[in-house]
Amino acid sequence: MAAVSAPAAPAATGAPPSSAPRPAQRRARRRRGAVRLLGYVVLVAAAAAIMLPFAWMVISSLKENNDVFTVPLEWIPDPVRWSNYVDIWAKSDMVTWVKNTLVLSVTVTALQVTTGSFAAYGFAKMRFPGRNVLFLVYVGTIAVPWQSYMIPQFVMLSDVGLSNTLWAIVALQTFSAFGVFLMKQYYESIPESLSEAARIDGMSEYGIWWRIMLPLSKPAIASLVLLTFVNTWNDYLGPLIYLRDPQLWTIQLGLKTFISQYNAEYALIMAGSVLSVLPVALIFLFGQRYFVQGIATSGVKG
Amino acid sequence: MATTAVDHRPGGPPGPSVPRPGAVRPRRRPGSRLRLRNTLVGWSFILPNFVGFALLTLVPVLTLFYISFTSWNVFGVAEWIGLDNFTRMLGDPSYHKALLNTLYYSGLHIPLTLVASLSLALLLNRKLRGVAFFRTVAFFPYITSIVAIAVVWNMLFSPEYGPVNQFLRFLGVENPPGWTTSGDWSMPAVILVGVWREMGYFMLLLLAGLQTVPAELYEAARMDGANAWRRFWNVTLPCLRPTMFFVTVMLTINSLKVFDLILVMTDGGPGQSTLVLSQYIYQKGFEENQFGYASAVAVTLFLICIAVTIVQFLWNRRRDA
Amino acid sequence: MKRTAPVAIGAAAAIALTLSACGGGGEPEADATGPVTLTLAGWSLSTTPEFQVLADAFHEENPDVTVELKEYDATDYDTQMTADLAAGSAPDLYVLKNLKNFFTYQSGQQLLDVSDVASGLDPATGGLDTYEVDGATYAVPYRQDAWLLYYNKDLFEKAGVDEPDGSWTWDDYDQAAKDLKAGLDGGTYGTYQHVWQSVVQGFALAQTEGADMTSGDFGYLQPFYDRALDLQDAEAQVGFGTATTNELQYQAEFGTQKAAMMPMGSWYVATLLAQQESGDADEFEWGLAPAPQADASTAGTDATPVTFGDPTGIGINPAIDDAKVSAAKEFLAFAAGEGGAEKLAEIGITPALLSDAAVDAFFSIDGVPGDDLSRFAFSTHDVRPENPVDPGAATLSNILNDAHTAIMSGSSSVADGIAEAEKRAASEVG
Repeated sequence: MAAVSAPAAPAATGAPPSSAPRPAQRRARRRRGAVRLLGYVVLVAAAAAIMLPFAWMVISSLKENNDVFTVPLEWIPDPVRWSNYVDIWAKSDMVTWVKNTLVLSVTVTALQVTTGSFAAYGFAKMRFPGRNVLFLVYVGTIAVPWQSYMIPQFVMLSDVGLSNTLWAIVALQTFSAFGVFLMKQYYESIPESLSEAARIDGMSEYGIWWRIMLPLSKPAIASLVLLTFVNTWNDYLGPLIYLRDPQLWTIQLGLKTFISQYNAEYALIMAGSVLSVLPVALIFLFGQRYFVQGIATSGVKG
Repeated sequence: MATTAVDHRPGGPPGPSVPRPGAVRPRRRPGSRLRLRNTLVGWSFILPNFVGFALLTLVPVLTLFYISFTSWNVFGVAEWIGLDNFTRMLGDPSYHKALLNTLYYSGLHIPLTLVASLSLALLLNRKLRGVAFFRTVAFFPYITSIVAIAVVWNMLFSPEYGPVNQFLRFLGVENPPGWTTSGDWSMPAVILVGVWREMGYFMLLLLAGLQTVPAELYEAARMDGANAWRRFWNVTLPCLRPTMFFVTVMLTINSLKVFDLILVMTDGGPGQSTLVLSQYIYQKGFEENQFGYASAVAVTLFLICIAVTIVQFLWNRRRDA
Repeated sequence: MKRTAPVAIGAAAAIALTLSACGGGGEPEADATGPVTLTLAGWSLSTTPEFQVLADAFHEENPDVTVELKEYDATDYDTQMTADLAAGSAPDLYVLKNLKNFFTYQSGQQLLDVSDVASGLDPATGGLDTYEVDGATYAVPYRQDAWLLYYNKDLFEKAGVDEPDGSWTWDDYDQAAKDLKAGLDGGTYGTYQHVWQSVVQGFALAQTEGADMTSGDFGYLQPFYDRALDLQDAEAQVGFGTATTNELQYQAEFGTQKAAMMPMGSWYVATLLAQQESGDADEFEWGLAPAPQADASTAGTDATPVTFGDPTGIGINPAIDDAKVSAAKEFLAFAAGEGGAEKLAEIGITPALLSDAAVDAFFSIDGVPGDDLSRFAFSTHDVRPENPVDPGAATLSNILNDAHTAIMSGSSSVADGIAEAEKRAASEVG
């Protein structure tokens, strides 16, 4: 039962509006300020710890090749070698890789989000026989490790002439059960009353999906877009199996091949890795602003 | 219980804006024509995705099931050998080891990641200066190159000169563990890195789910005098249930088929101390070319995953009802 | 769902049939005259020139035949090749990167019988007989790397330790490593034995009388592991745990003078030269010595030291057009023969056929040490394969790798690690 009689503990966020604070309140506010400051210190420290591997990547990318792995570890590169970032453009085909990866990531993300959210509506809001079993089949395939069926799949796609084309990767990534599952769960948390009202107004199911569900599921779409984009961007095994022509290589495949090619040039490799992470980080920074409370609060102040 | 918080909503906003978590199903007038229409419309939604899914995923997966009953070695003929692969598994100590290690990994990784990612999501779902930055940071481990992750963590865990053990020695621990170079400690070390890597990923999904929790419910609970813990328990969690279901299912499956992290961090070693099922499948298939046997192992992994998923599914439905 | 399930299963069965049928493949083409284009698999083409060198040299001798390269990934070469062979999209000729997978390709009928080519080759070609199964040969070796001892002459002089004279046994080597450690500054080790299982197991298998990996009896490893652990305990060599967790690179350990000696394959010669040129490795005087021996009877410059190394071979994809087979066989004969050997040696590769001309070509490369011992070490040895050609080879290699990491990390004792490996070999390969 939610009926609690004890007085509410002061919330950590937001001070009570008061024009003339009394000493007790002022003390409380000062204490809250201290707590907040401490919270920030903890957050920043945690952030630094989480970023450590990335920091190491950046530091290593500025070292000489044979200085990257040392005992004990050197945190400050000496001498600092910026030329790694110039060299990687000269020695590798970064432009082609980035272009291919971008084409793939955008196509796959767009297709996955549209077909996935469309199918999810069928699973979440329509009732018909066999729905649950079909859904379980979808989820079940997620449980099968890809490397165990990738050869049959490869033989199949080769037979229809898709291997060694970017289409193979699109086909592979687009229809994953993941997107359907994610969107379905999100739709289920959107109040049914909304679509019911629309139905009474005579809106078709397609209209409800387009006009009501899609606009309301921005946070879910944002996370699906981000995750699909990142997964396509960072996929290695798929391109490895399907893409042979260097003209078609993606950034991960290119970098890994680069690693085996220049197997001792770790500083250069780290420079490439840093470059490959940056676009994704930027997209995340941009996309995360869609995570704001959206549903059902329209017109209501919280 | 779960929906009580909803009952405490203030007179405030009228109309349909208050959600009922767990989606109360629409009433349908009886009639077979309507049912047929519903089925057709339902399928029309699913079909565009399903065609691709069936051809590209389902068919190969069914092929895999077929292969698990054969002695296929990728090239020659796939000879039907019935249940031989499965009986072989019963007496294969390496398979048992891999299975136990997989359960060990999942048993710790799932709860730890869940707690870490939920805490992160709650923490970063507020109005906070620099929240965009902190969210990005939390997601960074997931996008950082896995090679770099392995390198840095292995180095942090290095038994003699690693910062982790130097710190432990500083605290007075005389014989700090060997982490990734010790048969007993390699699994905890890998689990720790697994949690660190995936918490941002699941935080993202939970963050999306948290957006469906209407602020007025919190307000109502606060007026009722519910403390932060109560509000979490009676408002946040019930509204988050569909997302939590998704997250726990994905987390379970991902943990049970963990592969690349272990491959780059310890490659299953030392000895077989971190050998997991997915890696065993890869080893048997691609390194030893026993694709029939590898497929059979994959089928058992699939069965374990699906069993756990069905339990979660039913449990979720029971809570829904 | 009810209606789709049988369809899906039918499709699955159809694929299964395709899978089993794709072993054959390749429709013959009638026309044999005129220019022929062969395709050859290679990896890391821009830094591994050997494929292009062979292709160009062959084309020069046979203007009618052009060899085109198809690029694969170096680390995941076998995964990609397996997929391509299964789907029928593999090139006409492909390289067998290591011996471990030869059996898989051969028993999967993915290699054409090339006994006629093999019989025309010099019997001295290293590793030729390893590709023989039931009297027929399925590939020919074009390069044969061997494990040697690299040593840093400057550091030996600084520490006041006698350089190797070609007569070393492992005891001499261990003593030298400890002396070097004592005679050098704190940070420099006597030797660097990389973390690979072959560093210990390859020598143990090659140099122990009667050792046989497929017998499932791994007792022959014991003395070699005792020695490796002893070096580690004496701190004459960096610890295994430190080396793995810090991903130490053998190129950097020897190249930047962190260790005075290093047993390593002959492929490292070309790398070391390139790194000294680029500045990634320091400038110092170095030399090659024969691998230390288990037994004094095979040591010394008047004997033939025993070492190990897998040959690298080329085979023909059976799906090749019939019209191209003769050209493909000519290419094999060229690559494994005199002509190929010289071209390979010129770029620092150890050819399978170590003819005098090839050795001369190798030592005329700028920067290769010219002393007699280096020349002896490079050209005279009995190279045993690292892996047997056997259906269980890949499994055994995995089992022994687990034993290697368990023993070297101290997670289990030498005896326990070996006993565990023997138990697993019995149950998994049996």
